[in-house]
Amino acid sequence: MTGIAPRLRDMERFFEGIVPSIIATSSARGIPNVSYLSHVVLVDDEHVGLSNQFFNTTLTNLSENPQAAILLVDGARGGQCRLRAVYEETVFDGPLFSRVSTQLDATSAQVGMAGIMRLRGVDIFRVLDITVYPSPVAAPIEPVASEPLLEASASLAMTLAGLPGQVDAALDATLEWMRDTLACGQAAIFLADENTGHLATAGSLGYERSGVGSEIPFGDGVFGSAARERQIVKISDLSRARRYSAAVKASAGNENLTRTIAPPMDAETMSQIAVPMVAGGRLVGVLGAESRQRLAFSVVHEAALTLAAQHLAAFIALSEASPEDQRPIPPASPPDRSARRIDIRYFAFDDSIFIAGDYIIKGIAGRLLNHMLKTHAETGRTGFTNRELRLSTSLKLPEFKDNLETRLLLLRRRLADKASPIQLVPTGRGQFSLEFDGRPAFIAETEEDGR
Amino acid sequence: MRFDEEIAEFIAGPVMMVIGTCDGANQPDVGRGVGCRVLLGTEAIEVLISGWQWPDTVANIRETGEAAFTFVRPSDYRSLQLKGAASLREPTADDLALCERYIAGVTTALAEQGVPSSMIDVWLTNRELAIARLDVRAVSIKTPGSSAGSLVGAQA
Repeated sequence: MTGIAPRLRDMERFFEGIVPSIIATSSARGIPNVSYLSHVVLVDDEHVGLSNQFFNTTLTNLSENPQAAILLVDGARGGQCRLRAVYEETVFDGPLFSRVSTQLDATSAQVGMAGIMRLRGVDIFRVLDITVYPSPVAAPIEPVASEPLLEASASLAMTLAGLPGQVDAALDATLEWMRDTLACGQAAIFLADENTGHLATAGSLGYERSGVGSEIPFGDGVFGSAARERQIVKISDLSRARRYSAAVKASAGNENLTRTIAPPMDAETMSQIAVPMVAGGRLVGVLGAESRQRLAFSVVHEAALTLAAQHLAAFIALSEASPEDQRPIPPASPPDRSARRIDIRYFAFDDSIFIAGDYIIKGIAGRLLNHMLKTHAETGRTGFTNRELRLSTSLKLPEFKDNLETRLLLLRRRLADKASPIQLVPTGRGQFSLEFDGRPAFIAETEEDGR
Repeated sequence: MRFDEEIAEFIAGPVMMVIGTCDGANQPDVGRGVGCRVLLGTEAIEVLISGWQWPDTVANIRETGEAAFTFVRPSDYRSLQLKGAASLREPTADDLALCERYIAGVTTALAEQGVPSSMIDVWLTNRELAIARLDVRAVSIKTPGSSAGSLVGAQA
């Protein structure tokens, strides 16, 4: 036997089930038994699962002597290997059972055995060692090309597919995926507003400041260029051109004074990549990643990010197109007079709003927040709908498509990022409520700019 | 036990042969056979094994004297398992000829099922042949389905 000791995860082609696998067991008295198996599945690096249909003798033997030998055959080249394994348990439901059952039903139907090969359970074995058998012809075993980024992209697609339409959760899942899959230090997601020509930071990971709510004009830097050109933009070595770190210093001032949120930036960045998110021909946003390593992003990273970007874009577009809930808004509840006061300052000249002394946001989002807080102050109401905000003429929302969902999303994430005592909490599709950690109180409106 | 002519024809035909054995510590192992003959007038068969490819299988038979042989027809999955006491002997020219005929026959049968000969070449070899004699105690049906596992003859 050869000295090669492959890992289970490198043996994909042995688990295809093209050539039947075989299991040998033996009874307590040492009487061997050998049976064909229909399916052996990879569970993890140390375990395999066997489809249990009708190996009565095998099961009896395993109950007496849990040791087994399993012969697997490479479905492409015929190479054979033996797993020495110990039976641990049988599972009768759960995701692994469903996966094997579905696979078994499909292949049974194919060979005219629909219904005969019904799965009873999946027997889980711990693999002790793997032996590759010699072949009389040229070495049949080739390492299977591993595509970890492709697998990771598939995993993200499945995660997004399973989320119940909440863009917040999709953004967070994608950010985590970027950090883990690209192994980059920093990741950010920007949402695009094609009317104003700006990207807004919807979330980030790995930066000193998250920059949620900050804006980058189309065409500005790597991320803005990706938005304007709708092309992947990549810089693999920023060591000479340190324009970026200058920009970091320039924009890192006190946002309470500048009334501008600084975009997420890392002065030590060496590599950057920005991938546009497009759905139905519309620019939805940009995925951005940065690393302190030179040449951090390969063409394979580009491909993985492209898949992720378009999946997320489609997710957001689908969420926006879904009908909003029509549940009645909960009645107003009396304010808690004993709670601590939350000072709110609103400046009409730029629609900026400060909560408990902290600059939150300005522009249309500031106007929206002010409107809701005013409504709450007048009526005590905390529940709101996108629909009523859209209809409200007092908001002077632009004529063009209002992008309301994105604005509310950014506002919500900005309040969360600031850990503000006032939060916006989604309560349904197109419905949300204001939550207060204290008693909101407007400080007289002023035309001053507060600088 | 004695098995009928139909069974004798089946197991000596172009069917795949897999072997179950175990060592003295009751650790099972898997191997393949490359030819089978029924010893007429007896309750025994002989199965050819490449000791080069399946050294543990051959060593196990030598150590414990027990084996299970399962025969499977590629076209319809009809499977039979024969169990009993096993012993080894050296190959003869007849054995080599039988092995050659078997490999040619099963290669044709598998090719009819779409299995490329390049794969079959990996599984079947006559290198370092060992001949295992099995004094059959039991024959059981292993064809997938409700009768799987039922005995054709006496207890294993």
